[in-house]
Amino acid sequence: MLILAFDTATDIATSALVSDGEVLGERASRASTVLEDVDALLRQASAQTREIEALAVGTGPGSFTGVRIGLSTARALAFALGIPVAGVSTLDALAAGAPGALPVVDARRGEVFVLRGEPRVLEPGKLEVASGTICVGSGAVRYRTLLEAAGAVIPPDGDERHVPRARFHAQLARDFGPAEAVEPLYLRVPDADRNRG
Amino acid sequence: MILGLETSCDETAAAVITEDGQILANVISSQADLHARYGGVVPEVASRRHLELVTPVLQEALRDAGAELDDVELVAVTAGPGLIGALLVGVAAAKAIAWARRLPLAAVDHLQGHIASLYLQPEPVPPPFLCLLASGGHTMLLDVQDRATKAQVLGTTLDDAAGEAFDKGARLLGLGYPGGAEIDRLAREGDPAAYDLPVARVPGLDFSFSGLKTALLYAVKELSADELERRRADLAASYQSAIVRALVEKARQAADELGTSRIAVVGGVAANSELRAALPPSTALAPLPLCTDNAAMIASAARFSDPIQYPRYLGLDAYASTA
Ligand SMILES: [Zn+2]
Repeated sequence: MLILAFDTATDIATSALVSDGEVLGERASRASTVLEDVDALLRQASAQTREIEALAVGTGPGSFTGVRIGLSTARALAFALGIPVAGVSTLDALAAGAPGALPVVDARRGEVFVLRGEPRVLEPGKLEVASGTICVGSGAVRYRTLLEAAGAVIPPDGDERHVPRARFHAQLARDFGPAEAVEPLYLRVPDADRNRG
Repeated sequence: MILGLETSCDETAAAVITEDGQILANVISSQADLHARYGGVVPEVASRRHLELVTPVLQEALRDAGAELDDVELVAVTAGPGLIGALLVGVAAAKAIAWARRLPLAAVDHLQGHIASLYLQPEPVPPPFLCLLASGGHTMLLDVQDRATKAQVLGTTLDDAAGEAFDKGARLLGLGYPGGAEIDRLAREGDPAAYDLPVARVPGLDFSFSGLKTALLYAVKELSADELERRRADLAASYQSAIVRALVEKARQAADELGTSRIAVVGGVAANSELRAALPPSTALAPLPLCTDNAAMIASAARFSDPIQYPRYLGLDAYASTA
């Protein structure tokens, strides 16, 4: 099965074209240019757009706008191409790319998204890590000093494990179905609702 | 056929029009109810809702038009100005559809879209004309010379937009959101001369509505709850008539300066019944269903724009403001 996978939830948008488990190509850019990458991936693989059989899309958590660009793109593609979609959490994809590590995504406003049984949002200072736990992701990079002081081990900033890679979205994708069933993982209510209490 | 998408503020809209400007479908899913409890549009709430609605609205528009995606030859989308997070939902969807079908994409300016609401069938209004654009986000006087060239801005609001003034006034009077329709309705039962609410005199062709809002605030403050209940319709009528007077005066002045007698009015406030009645009979008014934000006007503007060919639109971004 030819799967097109992409995730625009974090600062580095990732995309990959995967055929029956074989990664035909993988690229990285920004959310606004993810379709340029997708277009290039297909051309490199000499594949036609209509040959894509399914989509795997990152559902976040990450930047709200980034998550929406990914899902809006996926839903429109699914409709235009008549193909099913599976959602994969950005944290799950990070975890798959760094086995044994704890994914920590920068949630801005002094918070991080982490996978603790389920995806959660919390202040990095409240993240309890067992000594020697490897932490990966944009949040691990941003709060390196704080997390290292708490006992975490964080790979160098340029390590590819810090960035979600769409090959893992394709690998983790299950239950391909209607695009509308794939929901964004915001993990935070809008400020206007929060202020209303 | 042209498929249009509009998500710049709080309406998720999709439309299908023909190449010669006939509307085949014009679907608008308003979020007004959703934002009513906040008394205004909350960008993050709007953006979340756009994502939920954008593909269903698009599919509904094609269904209404009795069309398939195969019939679409051009995709048009609002690229700005507006709420950036909201715009990006529509731009991402439009790019994806255009790419999947290798169609050209028109990145439409929202203000040009409002003007282009006048170019649709059955009664298209050809330029040149002086255009008053009055909505929740904009109050502008525009010199429209032809359909393709970007209109020249002759005057704009220095503070609140006219629609915003209606919303804020409605809130002061304890009315619902959106305020324009509420004030319009209540004003019919009131005396527009009951209160002298002054609109700031601004030189040139610009507008200012923040002083008027303050004047209303003071008028309301002087009244007890009972009195406000009795005078509410008079206040609404006086407030509305002050806004309408300012809009009409400046539109006439601009038309004089341009040396034209042709005035056209577009945007959400163009639906206001007093404004429609106060303008000279020769004024071209956008049809009511095309006053508020919609995608038919975006598709209409695309007819007169240079569409971007595949693959040059793949990196297209939205923009929040024109400046
Ligand atoms: Zn508008």
